[in-house]
Amino acid sequence: MSATSPILSAVAVTKIFSAGRGRDVTAVQDLSLDVFEGEFVCMLGASGCGKSTMLNIFAGFEKPTSGAVMLRGKPILGIEPRCGMVFQSYALFPWKTVRGNVEFGLKMQGISSAQRRERGAYFIDMVKLRGFENHYPTELSGGMQQRVTLARLLAADPEVLLMDEPFAALDAMTRQVMQEELLRIHEASGKTIVFITHSIDEALILSRRIVVMSARPGRVKAVVVNDLPAPRHVDVQMSPQYNALKMQIWNLVESEIRQHDEATRRLSRTDE
Amino acid sequence: MRLIWLLSLSSVAMVLALWAVATGRGWVTPIFLPSPEMVFQEARLVFLSGDLAQDIAMSTKRVFGGYALAALVSVPLGVLMGVWRPAKAIMDPFVSLLRPLPSITWIPMTMLWLGIGESQKIAIVFVGSWIYILLYTIESTKRVDPLLIRAARNLGASDLALMWEVILPGALPGILTGLKVTLAIAWSCVLSAEMIAAQNGLGALIWRAKAWGNLALVLVGMVCISITVLIADWIANRIERLLLPWERNRRV
Ligand SMILES: Nc1ncnc2c1ncn2[C@@H]1O[C@H](COP(=O)(O)OP(=O)(O)OP(=O)(O)O)[C@@H](O)[C@H]1O
Ligand SMILES: [Mg+2]
Repeated sequence: MSATSPILSAVAVTKIFSAGRGRDVTAVQDLSLDVFEGEFVCMLGASGCGKSTMLNIFAGFEKPTSGAVMLRGKPILGIEPRCGMVFQSYALFPWKTVRGNVEFGLKMQGISSAQRRERGAYFIDMVKLRGFENHYPTELSGGMQQRVTLARLLAADPEVLLMDEPFAALDAMTRQVMQEELLRIHEASGKTIVFITHSIDEALILSRRIVVMSARPGRVKAVVVNDLPAPRHVDVQMSPQYNALKMQIWNLVESEIRQHDEATRRLSRTDE
Repeated sequence: MRLIWLLSLSSVAMVLALWAVATGRGWVTPIFLPSPEMVFQEARLVFLSGDLAQDIAMSTKRVFGGYALAALVSVPLGVLMGVWRPAKAIMDPFVSLLRPLPSITWIPMTMLWLGIGESQKIAIVFVGSWIYILLYTIESTKRVDPLLIRAARNLGASDLALMWEVILPGALPGILTGLKVTLAIAWSCVLSAEMIAAQNGLGALIWRAKAWGNLALVLVGMVCISITVLIADWIANRIERLLLPWERNRRV
């Protein structure tokens, strides 16, 4: 795989948000990452370390302050529909029903309404929302809304799936079902997936490679290759190999959080 | 719910009773405040003669003529100004200059240009309402959630699709609020225009009644204006509910 060129890559990306009067925040610093065709990569890191920011840069919503992101070797300069996004805050269209939301991407591609209806129904079924086609997002629970966003993205069928904590609002059981669906889709379609999560377990079950990010400013702290046998089921969590990997990642993450805490404590002390 | 209704009803009854007693006992002379019976008699007269219905119809027609014209101009213009800065830059100086002018200040000029016929009344309603519709439309267009615009772009929306599928529906609740607020303003415009120069309409009715010293008829006119605007508002609310089905079961 390393012989081929990456489908998605970040080259020394730095992103600084200026909030005025010296209140600049460096969200991402000098981050480089190659994602290969068909790969399932998880990004793991503490809250506020710049994961969403990095995903927004991949989708072309934000421009890096320095560095570049490329899709198939070409720089991403504007919003890139080939890198589809599941938003952390859902971003559903409130004036569209579940069906209207899920079919939106297909409509934009100029697909006939009969075909839209059929493909939309398939994904609505997949996220277990049959019977809610004519509901508006405001009438759904948070977890249901999150599943609508997922179906909306899958129906639009982009080349790369950027997923920002897509299962965060789900209960443990629904989450597991959705994870299995996603793995099945990944296997069947060979899509490239960049997936953000807070959960080490989720990262271990889903991905082939885990990018552990440092505390803010976000950098790549370590890349852990997850060579647990696939297809993975929940019982993989019993294996010693699983526990060893989990320990390894836990230590990486923990030391980051410690360091971050100390840094902020030092900062607040100098503030006084 | 029933208790709330009862309270509202009894408060109205109280005021009516107080009014009846105050005029019946001669605490106030009928020249300053006619009794409820006198007002009711007067209402019966103008209603039976058909004059009242005609006056209401005339005013309503004028309001809707000018208001529809204003909406037709201001909604598209406001959306354009909301999404495209140059349009806003071009229009802003005129909007700022025209906004402080109450519609009655346009009466002399419109009379000179258009006489005192229907088109002058419609013009007064138009100049009195277009700016409010415009300001509401600009504001609600600019307030459409940028995250939804990103999402639409990410799903491959073209400029045209973005406008039609995201910006317009996103701005619609605000635009409708603006239209509703402006409806009451449009009514006050037509009434002042009719008081100054008109043969018929509710404003003319009140002004004529005042000239005759018929205070009961003035009150009849005022009550009619109130009721007509309330009905118009009720219809506007129904239309709003129809156009915004997603706002109906909004969770908090
Ligand atoms: N538009 C913005 N303007 C200013 N600062 C921002 C902006 N977006 C993000 N930030 C800052 O950048 C940092 C990283 O934010 P980001 O949303 O990428 O974190 P995250 O890793 O996704 O966190 P979480 O896991 O909580 O979602 C934060 O400190 C945040 O305050
Ligand atoms: Mg985030």
